[in-house]
Amino acid sequence: MRLEKCWFCSSTIYPGHGIQFVRNDAKIFRFCRSKCHKNFKMKRNPRKVKWTKAYRRLHGKDMTQDSTFEFERKRNRPERYDRNLAENTLKAIKKIDKVRVTREAKHIERRMKGKKGKELQEAKKELEQNISLVKAPAVLKEDLSLTLPIKVKVSQTQAESHLMEE
Amino acid sequence: MVQYNFKKITVVPNGIDFVDIILSRTQRQTPTVVHKGYAISRLRQFYMRKVKYTQQNFHEKLSTIIDEFPRLDDIHPFYDHYKLALGQINTARNLISKISKDYVKLLKYGDSLYRCKCLKVAALGRMCTVIKRIGRSLAYLEQIRQHMARLPSIDPNTRTILICGYPNVGKCSFINKITRADVDVQPYAFTTKSLFVGHTDYKYLRYQVIDTPGILDRPFEDRNIIEMCSITALAHLRAAVLFFLDISGSCGYSIAQQAALFHSIKSLFMNKPLIIVCNKTDLQPLESIPEEDMKLVMEMKAEAMKTVIGQGGEPTNDEEVLLMMSTLTENGVIAVKNAACERLLNQRVELKMKSKKLNDCLNRFHVAKPKPRDQKERPPCIPQAILEAKAKQAADKEKRKMEKDLEDENGGAGVYSASLKKNYILANDEWKEDIMPEILDGHNVCDFVDADILQRLEELEREEGLRQAEEAADDFEMDGKELTPEEQRALAEIRKKKSLLIQQHRIKKSTAESRPTVPRKFDKDREYTSKRMGRQLSALGIDPMLAINRARSRSVSRGRKRERSLDRGDTDGDVMDMDVDTPNKKLRVRSTSRSRSRSKSRPPTEVVPGEGFKDVTQKGKALKLAKKSVKKRNKDARRGEADRVIPTLKPKHLFSGKRSTGKTQRR
Repeated sequence: MRLEKCWFCSSTIYPGHGIQFVRNDAKIFRFCRSKCHKNFKMKRNPRKVKWTKAYRRLHGKDMTQDSTFEFERKRNRPERYDRNLAENTLKAIKKIDKVRVTREAKHIERRMKGKKGKELQEAKKELEQNISLVKAPAVLKEDLSLTLPIKVKVSQTQAESHLMEE
Repeated sequence: MVQYNFKKITVVPNGIDFVDIILSRTQRQTPTVVHKGYAISRLRQFYMRKVKYTQQNFHEKLSTIIDEFPRLDDIHPFYDHYKLALGQINTARNLISKISKDYVKLLKYGDSLYRCKCLKVAALGRMCTVIKRIGRSLAYLEQIRQHMARLPSIDPNTRTILICGYPNVGKCSFINKITRADVDVQPYAFTTKSLFVGHTDYKYLRYQVIDTPGILDRPFEDRNIIEMCSITALAHLRAAVLFFLDISGSCGYSIAQQAALFHSIKSLFMNKPLIIVCNKTDLQPLESIPEEDMKLVMEMKAEAMKTVIGQGGEPTNDEEVLLMMSTLTENGVIAVKNAACERLLNQRVELKMKSKKLNDCLNRFHVAKPKPRDQKERPPCIPQAILEAKAKQAADKEKRKMEKDLEDENGGAGVYSASLKKNYILANDEWKEDIMPEILDGHNVCDFVDADILQRLEELEREEGLRQAEEAADDFEMDGKELTPEEQRALAEIRKKKSLLIQQHRIKKSTAESRPTVPRKFDKDREYTSKRMGRQLSALGIDPMLAINRARSRSVSRGRKRERSLDRGDTDGDVMDMDVDTPNKKLRVRSTSRSRSRSKSRPPTEVVPGEGFKDVTQKGKALKLAKKSVKKRNKDARRGEADRVIPTLKPKHLFSGKRSTGKTQRR
């Protein structure tokens, strides 16, 4: 008995569930439930349907490459039974699962976290480059801090008074 | 030779019926509707199909007739008509095929419905005439079929015993005694109208016994069809022949007549074992027949012996050749049968031995036997050990326990289930009955089985540890950094300024819509004023006075503006001294002079009591309003408010009501 993967949504198909469709070219399509089957009949591409694993992996929402995936591989040669090996395998499966789950969670967390660091960097660069828009370079030379200069209102009379003085 | 089942030959319809059957079938089984508006290829196809279908049906039916009727070799002119009839059927079949082929070829190039139809009519018509011509042959074959259906099925190859002789001699009673066939036994001649077949057994072999209808002693040509049947049967089959002789003469024919018959048809018995049977011995035993009859009988016997001699048999068995029996008392019946069967068997065996096939086989066999050089016995030598082993094996076989025995011991089929893992070869025998799980937590365990899985797992865990440490370090680093409030304010200002610039640019951007057809050259919007410059410079933190003064001193309109306030309180000389490097000296000179000569006039904003204003501000406002109203509307070839206006954004007739035709899916 084997647990298969649904062709459409990539979830596991437990025994007693789902439908298998064999095409004329002998390719087998397994579906976990009628939702996936109906989507398939509608000729929808799972890579474009948002809730499938195929979409999520393709668009980087879920982890794609990891060493934990390499533990699980379909082997076609039957091995002679060895109790120790079987025991170790069973224990290992649990541990590998744990690791994989934590890694996937981390991946999603990283994705959700946002670009705080990046934004910080950007802000700093912007400040450096564009400070001349709000503070003249001459003023900046005298006063290296980033405090903005106080706006002085210029009226005609003041200008004239200056003129008169001279 | 093919086995014919005469009873199962299909009925041969006569000519007219045949045509009717086929044509009606064509009409029913092919499409019937066609219009002249169809594509020409479709029309052609339609008619071609009809022609082909008719031809196929004719072909089928004629073929079945030809196949089912048996093919008999040309043994007698009697069968000429039969062969001719079958030949005619064959030619008819070929003719029909040819007709169909020709007309289909013509139909391929038919260019209208009418023409195709005519071609089809012609084809079918010709086929039907062919059949009508062979109508007579069909009728003849039907008769023969009816006749043959009454014939019993004869296998010409098996052991056959033929019974012949004058009518009413006792053949049928003989057959009734031997076999289970219930043959008519009637006292008058011509009872058996055709051949009757029965089966009997001898030495675990089956024999066919064929009874022929009564054969009258007449020349060949005068025999009727029924008798011809029997005669041809005789000649055709390889069988043992029993010629029945009525000793008593109660059949109505004398022994002389019977002898004459025998002699006339002896030519047919050339290679067949012949036995002469004297029947009805209860009425008159053989010994007591008159001399002449005895002589005739002896002649017949001699003839019969010839046949025996001809086969290379022993001439001493004259008992075998001439036998007595009585069907009424059943005296000697079995003896006759046995004799006949035996003779036949011997003949067949001899024939087989002589046949080529056997010779071929025999040639390949050669059993080589070494010639014995002395009388000493030399049996094969088997060592004692082997003999013992063999004996032991035999004993073991009885003793070894089968799985089935085990099952029976432990309660039978439903109770005990055999342990299939009993004979597994594993590293440790304790593991034999282990059940390994196939599925764990949604994974197939078999996919993970690997010899060095532990090692890899260790690596993985190490890797994971390292990664977690890294992550922690990263997180720690990230927490310290943030912008100070000063920096934040500066950043906000920068961003605001940038967005303003962008907005300005967008407003100013010269697109076809916004560009006036006659462009303006100078500062229409009054952007470039010294006040503005002063504001901007001060925003940057620089003292603007110097710049403003410089700008003003250089500006052209300085002299043009009314500087009343200036004139009132200042000396002109000072004003003039300032202008050392003015560009338009001339203008300057003139403007000042003009300003001097003019008398002091009232400023427009001065409130004159008769005008009706409250104060300066009100007057100023009123003046402004007046000026504004006179101002020409600035169109600048731009799209104005009146252009492309949608007066109602949601007109009722578009947003409500049903449509007379069509859907109201969108509005």
